[in-house]
Amino acid sequence: MKWRKLGRVFDPTQHRLPNGCVQFAQSPQALVFDEFVRVYFSTRAVDPANGKYLSHVAFVDFEKNLRDIRQVSSRGVIELGALGCFDEHGIFPLNVVRHGDRVYGYTCGWSRRVSVSVETAIGLALSRDGGVSFQRIGDGPLLAASLHEPCLVGDAFVKVIDGAWHMWYIFGTGWRRYDAQSAPDRTYKIGHATSADGVQWQKDEARQIVADVLGPDESQALPTVVTITGIHHMFFCYRPSYDFRTTKGRGYRIGHAVSHDLLNWTRDDASLALDGTPGEWDGDMQCYPHAFECDGRVLLLYNGNEFGRHGFGLAELER
Amino acid sequence: MFRWRKLGRVFDPRAVIGRPWLAEFAQAPSVLVLDDCLRVYFSCRPPPDSNGQYVSFSAYVDLDRADPTRVLRVAERPILELGGLGTFDEFGTYPVSVIRDRGTVRAYYGGWTRCESVPFNVAIGVATSSDGGRSFSRLGPGPVLSYSPDEPFVLSGPKIRRFGDLWQLWYIAGRKWKPVAGRPEPVYKIRMATSEDGLRWDKVGRDLIPSRVEEDEAQASPDVFRANGKYHMFFCYRYSSDFRGRERGYRIGYASSTNMLDWQRDDAKAGIDVADEGWDAEMVAYPHVFEVDGRVYMAYLGNQVGRHGFGLAVLEGELA
Repeated sequence: MKWRKLGRVFDPTQHRLPNGCVQFAQSPQALVFDEFVRVYFSTRAVDPANGKYLSHVAFVDFEKNLRDIRQVSSRGVIELGALGCFDEHGIFPLNVVRHGDRVYGYTCGWSRRVSVSVETAIGLALSRDGGVSFQRIGDGPLLAASLHEPCLVGDAFVKVIDGAWHMWYIFGTGWRRYDAQSAPDRTYKIGHATSADGVQWQKDEARQIVADVLGPDESQALPTVVTITGIHHMFFCYRPSYDFRTTKGRGYRIGHAVSHDLLNWTRDDASLALDGTPGEWDGDMQCYPHAFECDGRVLLLYNGNEFGRHGFGLAELER
Repeated sequence: MFRWRKLGRVFDPRAVIGRPWLAEFAQAPSVLVLDDCLRVYFSCRPPPDSNGQYVSFSAYVDLDRADPTRVLRVAERPILELGGLGTFDEFGTYPVSVIRDRGTVRAYYGGWTRCESVPFNVAIGVATSSDGGRSFSRLGPGPVLSYSPDEPFVLSGPKIRRFGDLWQLWYIAGRKWKPVAGRPEPVYKIRMATSEDGLRWDKVGRDLIPSRVEEDEAQASPDVFRANGKYHMFFCYRYSSDFRGRERGYRIGYASSTNMLDWQRDDAKAGIDVADEGWDAEMVAYPHVFEVDGRVYMAYLGNQVGRHGFGLAVLEGELA
C-alpha cells in the first residue's frame, strides 16, 4: 500500500472561521458532492467563562481536485449542547453519512468533569439542507458509557455496507494517574456497533477489535474504514496513553488494520507507510485519519503536529 | 380509601457512632425482608469536604421484624465502594433499590459524578451480593442505564421490580437544568424501562406521571406496589425553586395503573402528608412501600430529605 502525500491542504489561520475560532482544523471528514467536496472539521474558540477551549464544527468546500478552496462556512454547522448536556463544551469530531435526502451527523460531544478533564458520548444530528446545518435529534446521546465501557464513548465512523449500518467508535477503558504530579490520562480502544436504521445501535460491548502494538496502555482513536478491491481497510491513530502531548516519538501515529468480514481485523501498520515528513507540518505527529473515495481515487485526510492546530493534509493511494 | 398511620421516625443517623462515613442522612429507604429482620437500605454521607461537597454511600439498618420501629443493628461499612477515577459513580452511590435474584441480591443505584458547568450528573449502576445483601460488587465499571436522546442527564432514583416475566425499572430522567438563584437545579420526571435480564433495558421513552404543581415540578422515588389487581405508585414531588422549606418542598403523591404504563395521578389519595411539627413537618419524601407479615408499610423521609433519618407508617384501609 503506497500513499502519495499531497501536503497540507487547509491551514485554519489563513481563513476567517465562524464562532471566533482562530486555530485548529481537527478531524477532517468528507462529504462528496457532484461538483465539490465538503470537508467538516472541528475548530476552537475560547470559552469566555474560563479560558478553556470550546470545539465547534465548520466546513470547507474544495473543488474536486481537493486543492482549490471554494468557500469556508460562515457559521457553525451545529450549535453546542445546552447546559449540562453531553456536548456542551465541544463537538469533535462530526462524522457525516448521506442517507436518502438527509445527512446523518454523528457527533462526539464533550463535557467537562471535575476529577478528570472530560467525558464524551456519541450523538446524532440530521441535516436537511445538504449538510449546511444540523439539528440534533435530542439533547442526549445516542451511545454513551455502559456497563463494560465505563467512559469516553466517541469518535463514531458510520458506514452503510450491503444495507447494514456499521459504526466503528472508541470506548474508554479507564483513567489513570501515571505519576503523582500529572493529571489523569485515559486509555481508549476501538469498538464496533451495528444498526438497521442508523439510530438504534447494538454495541459489541467492550470488545476491542484492533490489537495493541504498544501494550495495554495504547490509546486508539478515530477509526475510519474504506473498502479497496474487496478488502476492508481501517485507519486510526494511536499513541501511548501518557506523556504524549509534547514528547517527541510519543505522539499520535496512524495505524492500519485489514478485514475480510468486517468483524475480525488484523493489524498491519507496516504496510501503511505513511510517515511524517521531518520538519514539516506533520513531522512530529500524524492523527485523525479519514479515508474516502472520490471519483475513483482513494484519499486520506489527516492532521499533523499538535493535534491539528495547523490544519490538515491529504494523501492519495497509488495503485 | 386508605391512609397511612405514622409510627414515627425509626432511624436517626446522628445516633450512630463509630462510622465516620455515616454522619448524616439516611435517604431513600429500600427494604429486603430477611427471616428475622427487615434490612432497610439507605444512603448516607460523611461530613462534607473543605469545598462543602459531599460524597454519598449506601448502607443498611436491620429492624426487628416483629416490631419494625426497633433497630437491631447498623451495617459496619458501606455496601459498595465508590467508583474508580473518572467513572460514573466516583462521588456517590445514591439512592439504592434492592431485589432478590435467585440466590443473590441485586442492587440498582444512582452513581454520581461531578461536572464543571453543573454540579453533578447521575446514571444508574448495578451491583450484586452473594452474602445476603451485606456487601455488593459491581457487575461492571460503567452504568447499566445511561443517557439517551430524550433522557440527556440525571438518570437516578431507580426502583427495581419484577412483576411477571420481565424486570421493571422505574427511575427519573432529567429534563433540563434550571438556573435558580445562580445555581443550576435539575428538573426531572418519572420514567420506566423493562428488561428480560435486568441488564439490557428497553426504555418506554415518555413521562409516566403528568406534572401537577408546575410544569417544572421535580418528581422522584417512583415506588410501585402491586395490590388488589392494580399497581400503586407512591412518589414524591416538589417545586423547582425554593424547595428547601415547607411551602414548596417534597410531598408524597399517588398514581394507579392496571398495566404499569398508563397511570392516573391522584395525589389526594396518597394518604400521608407533613405533620404539624417534628421531624416530618417540612416535607415527606422518598416513599417506599413494602409488605411483611400481613401488614403494608411505607418507609419515608422527613425534613431536609432525610438528613435526620427515615420513619415508618402502616397502611390502614385497602389499596384499591
